[in-house]
Amino acid sequence: MSKHTSMLGAAGVISIAVIAGGCASSVERPDGELRSAESAIQQSVSSDARDFEPVLLNQAQNRVADAEELINQEKYLEARRLLEKAAVDAQLAGARSETAKARQAVDEVNRNIESLRKRIDERQ
Amino acid sequence: MNKRNMTLGMAVSVSVLVAGCASTPQDNAKVDEARAAYEEIRNDPNVARSGDRQLRSAREQLSRAESLLADGADIAEIEHAAYLANRHAQIAGEQGERAELQEQIDSAEARRKELELEMRADEAAQARREAKELRLQMEAMQAEQTDRGMVLTLGDVLFDLDKAELKSSGEATVRRLAEFMAEYENRRVRVEGYTDSTGEASYNQGLSERRAQAVSDTLIEMGISRTRVETKGFGEQFPVASNDTSGGRQQNRRVEIVISDEEGNIEAREN
Repeated sequence: MSKHTSMLGAAGVISIAVIAGGCASSVERPDGELRSAESAIQQSVSSDARDFEPVLLNQAQNRVADAEELINQEKYLEARRLLEKAAVDAQLAGARSETAKARQAVDEVNRNIESLRKRIDERQ
Repeated sequence: MNKRNMTLGMAVSVSVLVAGCASTPQDNAKVDEARAAYEEIRNDPNVARSGDRQLRSAREQLSRAESLLADGADIAEIEHAAYLANRHAQIAGEQGERAELQEQIDSAEARRKELELEMRADEAAQARREAKELRLQMEAMQAEQTDRGMVLTLGDVLFDLDKAELKSSGEATVRRLAEFMAEYENRRVRVEGYTDSTGEASYNQGLSERRAQAVSDTLIEMGISRTRVETKGFGEQFPVASNDTSGGRQQNRRVEIVISDEEGNIEAREN
C-alpha cells in the first residue's frame, strides 16, 4: 500500500511541476524567439524570397510586427506563438526560393546542353 | 485536508494518463494535416539526404501536438504545434526537392562540360582538316608562302605579248582560283600585274593594270563577288629576275595573286 501510494504521489508531483513549468515559460518575454524569427526572415531575403515568395515572406514579417505589439502589451504567450510561426514561414519562403532557383538552374543547364548538341549536330 | 487535496490531484492525473493511453486520439483537422504532411516526406530519400533537422523538428512538433491533443490541452497550443509540424514538414520537403534538383544540376553540368570538350575537339579537328585542305589546294595552284601571305604566280602563259586578254589556258588557271575562292568565302585576293622593262615605263604600267583587271573581270564573271577582288598594276617594278636575258624577262612578265588571311586582310606591297 505505502509503495503504491508514494508512486502515485510522485506522478502527481511531476504532473503539477509540468503544468507549473508550462505557465512559467509562457510568461517569459520571447526575446530569443524574436531574434530567431528576425534572422530567419533575413536568411529568406538573402535566398531571394522577395522575388520568389513575397506573400509568405510578407506574412512572416507581419507576424513579427504583430508579435512586437503583443510583447509591448506583455502578451508573451501569443507573441511567442506568432514569432515561432513567423520563423517557420520565413524558413519555408527561403526553402521554396532555393528550390525555384535550382529549378531555373536545371532549365538553364539543359538549354545549354540542347544548344551545344545542336551545334555539334549541325557540324556533322 | 491537505492530504485529501493531494489524493484528488493524484486521481486526476492518473485518469488523464489513463485516458491519454487508452482512448483513440481525438480528431483535429490541423493535426491531421500536419500528420499527412509528415507522412508524405518521412520516407522520402531526397529528404533524408538533405539533412534531417527539419524532419526531426516536424516529428517533434507532431508528437507534441498529438500528445497535447490526447491530453485535451488548450486548442490554440495544439494547433500551434500542428502548424509548426506542418511547416517543418513542408520545409523538409522543399529541401529534399532542392537536393534532387541539385543532383540534376550536377549531372547536367557534367554532361555540358563533356559536350563542350567534344565540341572543342570537333572544332580543332575541323580546323585541322580545313588547314590541310587549304594547303593542298594552294599546293595544287602552286601558291607560295611569302611575307605578303600566300602568293600564286601566274606566268606569262595567261596573255599574249602586249595583250591584256586572257588566253584560254589562262582562263583555266583563273577558274581554279575562282573555285578556291568559292570554297573559302572569307578569303579575298589582290591581283597584281607586272611587266618586264622593255618599252616605256608608263606603257608597261598601263599594261600591268589592264592585265590585272582582265584577271579580276574573269573572276567576277565566274561568280566571285567584286568586293573580294582588288587589282593593282606595278609595271616594271619588283622584277623577280634580271631583265637582261629573255628568260629573266619572261619571269618578270607575270600576274601575282595575293591571297588574304581568313579575315580577308591583304598585306599591302611597299611601293
